[in-house]
Amino acid sequence: MKRYYVMGLFSNFEEAFATIHDIREHTIPGVSVDDVTLKSPIEHPEIEEILGDRGSPIPKFSLYGAIFGAIFGFLFLASAQATFLVQPQGGKPVIALPSNIVLSYEMMILFGVLSTVVGFMISARLMTKRHPLYSEKVSLDQVGVMLELDEKNVNPVKELFKKHKVVEIREEVSQ
Amino acid sequence: MSLKNILENWSHYRRGIEEGGHHDYEHMWGMAIDLNKCTGCNACSVACYAENNLPTVGKERLMKGQGLHWLRMERYWDEPNVGGDDQEFQERGGSFIPTMCQQCNAAPCEPVCPVAATYHTPDGLNAQIYNRCIGSRYCANNCPYRLRYFNFYSYYEESWPEPLNLQLNPDISVRDMGVMEKCTFCVQRVRSAKDTAAREGRKVMDGDVQTACAQTCPTQAIVFGDMLDKESKVSKIWAAHEVELGKAKQNKSNKELRGYRVLEGLNTDPSVLYLDRVREV
Amino acid sequence: MQTKDINENIAWAKINKDVLRSMENPRMGYWVALAACVAMIACAVVAEIYQYQVGMGPANLNWPHMWDLYIATFVFWIGMSHSGTLLSAILHIIQADWRKPIYRFAEAMTLFSLMTAGLFPIIHLGRVWNMYWVLPYVSDRGIWPNFRSPLVWDAFAITTYMTSSALFLFIGMIPDLAICRDNARGWRQKLYTVLSLGWQGDDRQWRNFRRIYLMMACFLIPLAVSVHSIVSADFAMSIMPGWHITSFPPYFVAGALYSGCAAIITLFIILRYFFRFDEYMTIPILEKTCKLTFAIAMVWSYLTLIEFASVWYGHDAVAKEALVERFVGPYSPFFWLMLFCGIIVPFALAFEKLRRHLPTMFVVSLLLNLGMWLERWMIVTPTLAMSYYPFAWDIMWPSMVQWAIVFGSFGWFGLLFLIFVKVFPSVSMYEVKEMVFHRRHYHSEEIATKLHRREGDPQPGDGPSTEGVRS
Repeated sequence: MKRYYVMGLFSNFEEAFATIHDIREHTIPGVSVDDVTLKSPIEHPEIEEILGDRGSPIPKFSLYGAIFGAIFGFLFLASAQATFLVQPQGGKPVIALPSNIVLSYEMMILFGVLSTVVGFMISARLMTKRHPLYSEKVSLDQVGVMLELDEKNVNPVKELFKKHKVVEIREEVSQ
Repeated sequence: MSLKNILENWSHYRRGIEEGGHHDYEHMWGMAIDLNKCTGCNACSVACYAENNLPTVGKERLMKGQGLHWLRMERYWDEPNVGGDDQEFQERGGSFIPTMCQQCNAAPCEPVCPVAATYHTPDGLNAQIYNRCIGSRYCANNCPYRLRYFNFYSYYEESWPEPLNLQLNPDISVRDMGVMEKCTFCVQRVRSAKDTAAREGRKVMDGDVQTACAQTCPTQAIVFGDMLDKESKVSKIWAAHEVELGKAKQNKSNKELRGYRVLEGLNTDPSVLYLDRVREV
Repeated sequence: MQTKDINENIAWAKINKDVLRSMENPRMGYWVALAACVAMIACAVVAEIYQYQVGMGPANLNWPHMWDLYIATFVFWIGMSHSGTLLSAILHIIQADWRKPIYRFAEAMTLFSLMTAGLFPIIHLGRVWNMYWVLPYVSDRGIWPNFRSPLVWDAFAITTYMTSSALFLFIGMIPDLAICRDNARGWRQKLYTVLSLGWQGDDRQWRNFRRIYLMMACFLIPLAVSVHSIVSADFAMSIMPGWHITSFPPYFVAGALYSGCAAIITLFIILRYFFRFDEYMTIPILEKTCKLTFAIAMVWSYLTLIEFASVWYGHDAVAKEALVERFVGPYSPFFWLMLFCGIIVPFALAFEKLRRHLPTMFVVSLLLNLGMWLERWMIVTPTLAMSYYPFAWDIMWPSMVQWAIVFGSFGWFGLLFLIFVKVFPSVSMYEVKEMVFHRRHYHSEEIATKLHRREGDPQPGDGPSTEGVRS
């Protein structure tokens, strides 16, 4: 089934948000706000108000990574120290808690950071091929609204774009 | 391997020295040095040089403070009324303390080595592993007595030109540059005495092992032996002066008892007892 | 006199253009600076080769001065590395958006300081070729490093910090690398294409980006505090007088933030001048940085002075002697210079006229960092000169070998930083766009409507306006 991709480039956020707002209000039947991808040059947290909260799994990666790091760190250190009964030092016990706490803390943070980065790569779908509708103007100063549509909805969507003063429209068909 | 090991032996691994440690000590080598008998002749220091392959660093480097004397003879002029500022007879009024590694039972130098090149043996000695040392010198900074020395250069070529290298003791290595070293209570002699005793099927007896300094001292000011052996000379001296291992402050019944340990309030628990010089009041 | 942190009228396209222009082919001045840095590094390399072959003796290290400038400079560079963390992570969490034009080079400074600092624990070893024994690897003899030693804690902490900082810098740069990718040619385009990881500016990507940035900032703040506490543990965990001080961890962290902020001011002025970033690295932002530095300077001064008080109250005669020695002993000129640079000089940051005068701020920031370097030296050496055992009291001055290596470390840092500013954008373009966008909306709706247009865009009034519509 063919999927049509239509992207409209707007020169400011207000127009782009108005477009999405219209789509949300089901101006065009069969096109829902879940089909919308917004491409923007900046972070703009208010996007979530318009698009709806789509959530992000990254904090879970951080948490599990950090917990793993702390436990693994302590066990690794304790087992390394435990291989050496011959080495009591300075009158202190072989598995000394104060020093192991410091190192487990560092391991917790290291693994937390690494797992967060891995989570980011996965959930942001980085390192995949760039979508052909990518426009360099997005990195400059324009905002893109991209929709994944059936053929019958293409023209109504284009009319909606023009109503909101779109600067440029691109489209692409994929099999 | 390790997880099971840790869980089974957990309490064992968690015992520090206050709980008795987790060694079963077979020997506890200790020393007693009578400063009243010490004449400051430096024979002990020379013997240590000979026994342990210590390099003579030369006058210039010694002046810069880069010497390597494991046993140093410290001189203090603390009795001016006995002629302490006499230029001609400088020994008058001088006190001498021969100091070597105190083999502390709670040694501050041990936990801070990054590669675990120093540790406490089941003999009660603080051991230095020359092969493992990477020369970070943290142990030297943490020793309050400053009794650890560092090989600032490679001395092999300069200190023992032919044929002097023939006098090196084969029982002990010549250290590489960048390695820390210190007095070991002549551990090579200890080991060979233990080997002899084991071969003959007996225990090591008092007098079997003598460190080079104890052997050479003309006045027998240095006494070395096993503190776990209650009949050894050194144990008797410690007991007579009412000094015990494992305490930072001794309770003495008689103030006149001369025995003391250097800087023992730092809780390092050294194994060397000094008997203070009898002074005129 | 400019009072706004940034001019809201800057068009986004101009931001891209200005920053990308800084990465163009460099002029003669850049090559001269690069050559100077390489010369400095060459000095250090020659000295290190000599020391490697002959031993630590030529450095004038002796008994008892077993540590000297190498450790002091190591702690100094670790301290300077706290700048990026402070500016990026802490100011991000409290949403101080004046950090946006300046945090990129601050984070780069963090990473390069750490890379410089990491050289010193290697250089100061007696047997450098065995340095990897400090790392916990599975050896065939089953020997592990001694995890009780603060030096091993250093190894772990610095590795963690370096990894985290590098990742933080890289992740924060991804949208900018996408901009560079869209505007580059040749080898640069290939580089940026690889590094930007296919960034497209999707809302999914931005959403996750926001999350990860916050998460990493939350990780980095306790990490930075713990890293410098651990470095202070090299001293605090020993028993030496003058080192075994419980306030060392916060004292070192305060000194690190101090050092980092002063370095930010220095590099701020340099970058602003050479790349003509006047519109982004504005004077009000410099003023805010100076005020922050002043606050931290007062924290550091307090901790220094209160340490004197706690020694005075205690009955520990040795600690008292160690402290008095710093004031009147052979190292006292440097100690007094350190107190001057650390406590008196920051008062220049309290006066607005001086804050706005860039040459003064440049000199002041260099003096502050000099004070911080001296502080590290004055912690290491006087304690070793006079400690528990009187027979071992000794005065020692470092030799040219040590000075050459310390000097060369600045060249190494400079080299890394110079390469960075030409290959990567030293001002964060997307964050400045955000800053301008939010201020525009905050300050002036009228300008917001007018300026977001480009030539030929439909003007307001041409059609039905939907300004301010929200769902």
